[in-house]
Amino acid sequence: MIDQVKQKINDLLSNGSVKGVVALVHSNGNVAPCLYQKGDDLDKLCLGDTDSAGDARYPLNKVLVTLSRQYPDEVFGVLVRGCDERGLYGLYRLNQLDPERVVPIGIACPQSLALQCECKKPWPDNMMAGKASEGIDQKGVANAECDSQPERFSYWAGQFLKCVKCYGCRDICPMCFCRECSLECEDLVSKGDLPVEIPVFHLVRAMHMADRCIDCGLCDEACPADIPLRLLYKKTALIMNAEFGFTSGINKYEKSPLSLMGPAPEK
Amino acid sequence: MLDFCGIEKERLRARWVSSAEAPEFVEEINDFVKVLKKLGPSPLRKEQVEAVA
Repeated sequence: MIDQVKQKINDLLSNGSVKGVVALVHSNGNVAPCLYQKGDDLDKLCLGDTDSAGDARYPLNKVLVTLSRQYPDEVFGVLVRGCDERGLYGLYRLNQLDPERVVPIGIACPQSLALQCECKKPWPDNMMAGKASEGIDQKGVANAECDSQPERFSYWAGQFLKCVKCYGCRDICPMCFCRECSLECEDLVSKGDLPVEIPVFHLVRAMHMADRCIDCGLCDEACPADIPLRLLYKKTALIMNAEFGFTSGINKYEKSPLSLMGPAPEK
Repeated sequence: MLDFCGIEKERLRARWVSSAEAPEFVEEINDFVKVLKKLGPSPLRKEQVEAVA
């Protein structure tokens, strides 16, 4: 698979259709994001496979957003998995990226990774290499809803109490791109206080994720306190789907119901 | 979302009341207060959160 990707990147760079390609590199024993440009050595290109396939993930779309803000007229390629492609659709919709200036290089995730991520669509629509694995059933939210109301409260209060307010969830999130963040607004969140205000701090982020979260799970991976953030955002996404028939990142040009005024769109 | 996190959803209410509809506003608030009294003190008080978590 990696040879196909290398070939594709080489083609794109040498025929000048892109200025650079955002992908991953093996460097000093680690996997890191890297911008490949014409003439760069592709030998150390990496798909994020270290101990197992795709276990080193990185929000490449976030790098791409930063790049395209700096170089709005250039075209960039980007390595995408299923979740990243959903992210691209979201970022197009939210006017953070121009689909005319992005060339996605889609790779499918192996079954092991799909299972580990509990991913419902571990392949991109536009697949360049790999073979689509089966989507995994999502059971987390239904399981969490089985508990009684006091049980749910003590579970989530316990989780939120662990928060060290490192903002890791926001910083890693490929769909968090606001220049001003509500969670840094001192009128809403007091600086330097721990524990964070329960449940406001985490629910503010959950609400902002409602029409954005693409269920990539990077927040869960990044959280040093192991707060099941993704489960929380999965619930907001389910509410969006139940109320408006909308799921972030599934259709390329679908507008979010939260950005429309007027009666609810037909389901 | 509040319900998902185990907080009684009756504790949050959003109603649209025009400034010309004072009686509706009063009725709404009285009703809300009644509901809240029945629910009792909020589980979100700091000491309470630390006790159950």
